[in-house]
Amino acid sequence: MSSHAKVAVGASKDSSFLGGRIPSEIEIMAKQLKDLDQEMFRKILKAVVSAIEGKDCREAMKAIAENAALPEERLSYVVAGMYRLLKEALRIPTSSLKQEVFKEDLRELRIPEEFITDFASVVFGNRRTALEAVATQQGPRLPSLKDFRWRVDVAISTSSLARALQPSILMQMKLSDGKAHRFEVPVSKFQELRYNVALILKEMNDLEKRSVLKIQD
Amino acid sequence: MAAIITETQSIKEAVTSINTIELNKFSRLLSRILQKLHLKEERTFSEEEEQKLQSALSLDKQNLSLVLDTTAFILEQAVYHNVKPASLKQQLEKIHLSPEKAEAFCQAWTAVCPDVVEKVRQRIFAPKKLEHVGWQLNLQMGTSTQAKLKDPHAVLELGVRNEDSESVVEKVFVEFSHQELLHFYNQLETVQAQLDSLT
Repeated sequence: MSSHAKVAVGASKDSSFLGGRIPSEIEIMAKQLKDLDQEMFRKILKAVVSAIEGKDCREAMKAIAENAALPEERLSYVVAGMYRLLKEALRIPTSSLKQEVFKEDLRELRIPEEFITDFASVVFGNRRTALEAVATQQGPRLPSLKDFRWRVDVAISTSSLARALQPSILMQMKLSDGKAHRFEVPVSKFQELRYNVALILKEMNDLEKRSVLKIQD
Repeated sequence: MAAIITETQSIKEAVTSINTIELNKFSRLLSRILQKLHLKEERTFSEEEEQKLQSALSLDKQNLSLVLDTTAFILEQAVYHNVKPASLKQQLEKIHLSPEKAEAFCQAWTAVCPDVVEKVRQRIFAPKKLEHVGWQLNLQMGTSTQAKLKDPHAVLELGVRNEDSESVVEKVFVEFSHQELLHFYNQLETVQAQLDSLT
């Protein structure tokens, strides 16, 4: 990590939570925030946060763009910078990035104090868990199980066997990528599936208890 | 036990042909057909093999088909009704199969009966069938959206075979977090409870 020479007064720190090099959109935003009024700032912040949550914020953005006495170019710098700043901050768990350090880093970027408080309330406030949940969903993932349905049938008779009396299981899985899979599971395979899932759960439990994972970083 | 075979014209013709076949050859034929009985789509004999059979058994093509089809039919009926060997023998003699051939049927049937019935019973109707379960347990250390994780994640690989494709197995990958897997397991437990209540 390249070190960024800083003139620190008081406690010294290596670099901001944003890394050795501050992303350009954040630096530009910091300059743009100087004579922005707080109400406008809060409106934009609200729209950016709902965008991070995955909601459609086109209406809100349109309203802001139309009403504001803000030139479009300036608005776009502010939005880009806010988005990047929040995303980077939310990425780091609260156990690693403390509120005071976060605020300190923002002060070094010369962001006005009231705005720092607003930013901090998003990152460390009660909306945090919801935002983290969205981050988990959006991360690269294989499809997860959205809906699971099943049916147990007993075949009484078939065209090959007058008295079959064979139970079987029909499963339908809808995955998060939209695909649906329906297939029959012989009872023996079902037992194998159940056994394996129990085994993975046991291993997960063992894994979580291991001391390596208890190290705080 | 109700008659599993009625003596129709084609049965009569088949029986006549069967009675002409040498006993050893016929026994071997029986075993071979029994082996493949539970497989739906496959032909018991390839084109080549059928031609060899024609000369070996001194039957023309038509009669050979009749013999093969009728033998298979008799065995399928035996499976369907799950007849006892003694009963089978009786019924075969009733349609005028020679005693030694009936005995051959009986012996072959006694040897494999429970296996074949079980295999046919296991045959499944649904177009897709779960054949293989594989899994991977990973520890996620970080993603582009979240840093400093210690998240156990499991990936289940389900191998699903389509009924008509013998070789192609579709692989379905499903990822689970600890919580999601626990939820899935609870659902599987419910299924198990249902299965238990059946017995």
